[in-house]
Amino acid sequence: MLRRILAVTLRDLRSALRDTMIIYILIAPLLLALMMKAFVPTAGNTVLNIAVPETASYELVEFLEGYGRVELADDRAAIIDRVRDTDDLVGVVQSGESGLELIAAGNELAGTVEMVEAVLLRWQNPDVELPIDLSMSDMGWRLSPLARYGSSFLVVFMSVFGGMIVMLNLVEEKQYNTLAAINVSAIRRWEYVVGKALLGLVTPVIHAFAVLLIMGFNQINYLQVALVTVAIALISMITGFVIGVYQSEPIGAVASMKIMFLPIMASVFGGIFLADKWHPLLYWSPFYWAYRSIDSIIMQQAKWGQLWLNNLIILFITLIVFGLMYKRIQRGMR
Amino acid sequence: MIDVQGLTYSYNHDRNYAISDISFSVERGEVFALLGPSGAGKSTTQGILTGLLQIQHGSGQVAGFDLKHLSRDLFNKIGVSFEQSNVYGKLTALENLEFYRKLFDGDTEEPLELLKLVGLDHVSGKRAATFSKGMKHRLTFARSMINKPELWFLDEPTTGLDPAIASQIKDIVMSRKKHGTTILLTTHNMFLADQLSDKVGFIVDGELKLVDTPRNLKLRYGQKLVQVEYFEDDQLKTETLSLVNEEEKMRLGAIVNAGRIETMHTREATLEEIFIKVTGRELVYNEAD
Repeated sequence: MLRRILAVTLRDLRSALRDTMIIYILIAPLLLALMMKAFVPTAGNTVLNIAVPETASYELVEFLEGYGRVELADDRAAIIDRVRDTDDLVGVVQSGESGLELIAAGNELAGTVEMVEAVLLRWQNPDVELPIDLSMSDMGWRLSPLARYGSSFLVVFMSVFGGMIVMLNLVEEKQYNTLAAINVSAIRRWEYVVGKALLGLVTPVIHAFAVLLIMGFNQINYLQVALVTVAIALISMITGFVIGVYQSEPIGAVASMKIMFLPIMASVFGGIFLADKWHPLLYWSPFYWAYRSIDSIIMQQAKWGQLWLNNLIILFITLIVFGLMYKRIQRGMR
Repeated sequence: MIDVQGLTYSYNHDRNYAISDISFSVERGEVFALLGPSGAGKSTTQGILTGLLQIQHGSGQVAGFDLKHLSRDLFNKIGVSFEQSNVYGKLTALENLEFYRKLFDGDTEEPLELLKLVGLDHVSGKRAATFSKGMKHRLTFARSMINKPELWFLDEPTTGLDPAIASQIKDIVMSRKKHGTTILLTTHNMFLADQLSDKVGFIVDGELKLVDTPRNLKLRYGQKLVQVEYFEDDQLKTETLSLVNEEEKMRLGAIVNAGRIETMHTREATLEEIFIKVTGRELVYNEAD
């Protein structure tokens, strides 16, 4: 039994690695994650970044922390080196008895130096009215919004790729009419389906791990990530089966698979942008529940009980879809 | 090995039957050829016998398994060679067979040995997508032997092959027959059916018109004729004379006595002639047949 299941999976893997479209599908999520990672520091620069020497007074550091992120450096030379880095950071060092000197590289974003100047002016004279109304408030962001929502979206979106791989391998079977040969071999139907499905389940998990690691989420619970990814990959896989057994041409099949993109985008973006009172509108979508799970895992707020409940909802919806599609899949496999 | 009664099948589940009331049996070690033109119902019959099509009406047993309750274990006992080659193009010839052998329980053939048998060992490492039609067909044929089948279904096994390779395939079939493999051959190639089969069934418009041995059919439907080529007045002449008709028998005697015979052959009816006589229909061949 296991030998036959693995034979199907390994055949699909071997065939997939010889298919340029599948290779692209395999590496595309990683490229997307790398691109997103490149954008994340820019998003982080929306606050003031100030470097001060370790010898700076506690009061000054505390005051500056009221306006931005403060880094401590060994000495003036270290601050100059740090300021020369490409990110948006200004150095502040002691000058004379009570003066302060501002060190900038000249590549700072417009207004950054002026804002730090104004903050320093206020430090020296609390009565000074700042020319700008600078205020910092904690909205609960512990992460860059791009890193948080972008990663959640990518993990949920990539579950489709597993289904696509299953679909393209089935399209290959249709193309070469090899299903007839499978149907007269001793492999049982369920063994064949499991063998085909394995790649569609494992790939999204590997993708999810890779993307989250690229995005720097080293502390999250990856067992929870695997659990949610497998659950959400099931529905993509069923769609992959439905399309795969009827299409005999890969481009047409991929075009049909795009049908999945709308509910995924609607679910994730709805989950991000809609007010809570509108969320029930998305309860029908398994992708919404997957998004919520992944988001809570990324924020390290996930509780096993809630994850299991979300997964049960995903599996329940998947079961309904499977029930609706079962006969169609069975007919196509013949 | 095969025993079916009243097989009837309609693809649209209506009264347009692809096959109707088909009954026949094949003994262990026998080669049975289902002979008929394209669209006669040969492949439908084979489809039901191999479980690819679900039985609708009638009953039967294949290799000891009831057609109405087929078990996957049946497929450890049968091999199926399809008319249209169907191998994985992205896998090499050897990988195709290595994969397929893993789908069976029990003893299987060595893939490389099978490739040697069908003359594909020199391209065992090449992807099947690069193969010619004939090479793909041979690979499909080789694959059907991988599980050492007791019952072998061959659908047009020599179609599209050049004569040398077709002859090689025929030799393999004969060799398997000698080793006791039961074979169900579906073809519209009467020469192949004549050469390989112990029994033939004529199928036309979904109905099995007749089942018998080729020898019996020739005796029953053929005429005892002699074709003779001889010189007369320095001209080469040809005559076909009956061995039953008294007048023609005397004519043959006269030609023999004249002693100027070039060639002389007894001429039996071909299966095709008998087929036309029985069914009123002609068999259609591909050029490569």
